[in-house]
Amino acid sequence: MEQTERGTPLQRLHDSAFRARHPLFASIELTYTCNLACYFCYNPVQRKSQKRTQPAPERAESPLTFEEIVGVLDQLKEMGVLYLTLTGGEPLMHPRFWDIAQAAKDRAFAVRIFTNGAALTQNVVDRLATLMPFCLEMSIHGAKAETAEALTQVKGSFQRQMNALSLLQGSGLRVFLKCTVTRLVENELADIKAMADGFGFPLFFDPVLTISDDRQFYPMELRASDEAIAWLYKTSGLNLGNSPFEREPGDFNCSVGTGTLHITPFGEIHPCVQWKQSVGSVREKTLQEIWATSPLLMAAREANLKSAAMLKDTVKEHAFCAHCPGLSQLKCGDPLRPDEQYVRVANIRSKLAET
Amino acid sequence: MSEETLPKRNPDVSWRTIEGQAVLIHNRLGEIQVLNDLGTYIWEHLELGPEILARNIAQEHEVSVPDAQRDVEEFMQALRGSGALADGTD
Repeated sequence: MEQTERGTPLQRLHDSAFRARHPLFASIELTYTCNLACYFCYNPVQRKSQKRTQPAPERAESPLTFEEIVGVLDQLKEMGVLYLTLTGGEPLMHPRFWDIAQAAKDRAFAVRIFTNGAALTQNVVDRLATLMPFCLEMSIHGAKAETAEALTQVKGSFQRQMNALSLLQGSGLRVFLKCTVTRLVENELADIKAMADGFGFPLFFDPVLTISDDRQFYPMELRASDEAIAWLYKTSGLNLGNSPFEREPGDFNCSVGTGTLHITPFGEIHPCVQWKQSVGSVREKTLQEIWATSPLLMAAREANLKSAAMLKDTVKEHAFCAHCPGLSQLKCGDPLRPDEQYVRVANIRSKLAET
Repeated sequence: MSEETLPKRNPDVSWRTIEGQAVLIHNRLGEIQVLNDLGTYIWEHLELGPEILARNIAQEHEVSVPDAQRDVEEFMQALRGSGALADGTD
């Protein structure tokens, strides 16, 4: 069938890259070090009181050096990656963060920086404004110190985050706020939205928690109630992460295996930030080689393509159901099994649609 | 046209060529602009200046020089409008 061009030139670039299996997206976890200790953090490290049934894995190898990271950036540029996310841990805690971020800017990536904001002093905000990334995404964990710090496990972190938001106002940086909806914050979601509006930054709520990278389920202790999820979907004017989008069997569900790559602080390559199986190490092979030859990446791509059909066949409320093959792979070893959290959200949304 | 009056790229706009197309990243605006083939040629060769660009395009695409000049000028205006060119150039 002849394909007609649609959308903006940027959409057409995305479409053509997806069809050609050309990765436009990459993310790098610069470090697992963090100045907060959020209970639901998925990094494979112990954050204070997190209840693991097994200790976090110890690493024998050293993190990537600055030179190795720059080598990775060069390879990503060569591969045609456009969007680059610097994440962590707290990426600002990396001792060479500024050099890495500048190297990414110099290579003309659209640089997205994830931060918890707790290290944003006036000096840091000024440096960020000089760097001028494509955007800055900051996590917020409550509308008051009591709830936010119950999650972050660091006293004073709420005030530091509020100070950061004040400093970011008028900085010229494009800031987006993100709030993962947990039972800790579920009674102050409207206040969090009002707070974000007060600062003038768009806010995205995400109702889905992920287990840790080392397959520990402690984050699930914080699952929000059905009532809180329902509130999200019946309140107008909210941005919600992980909403399903219109797709047909045969369409790609997401960019895993076809448009994205994820790199850990130790140089392991994962199919995406959520699909936590190593497909190779940048210390052993080039990224191009791994991207072109990894059977696991091919399998991830196949699962991606089959996701929409799988949802239609197995989830009654599929029209409301998102799917993350990586999360399902991590949780149960099957990227094509619907995750109970997404199904739960779909059921809640379906009931709301009926009323 | 002297070097000072040649159109200059806005240093706040990062750019690369991906899949043969110039991709301009307007970091302050949060916008990404993808140029078509002709736009990519002009963007990549801005330093030649509008007159030489128009002559080259006329030769390559078998159009008249005045038509090519008009196209180049219109494209430059569009680039200025999007903020891709530094102010006070040309």
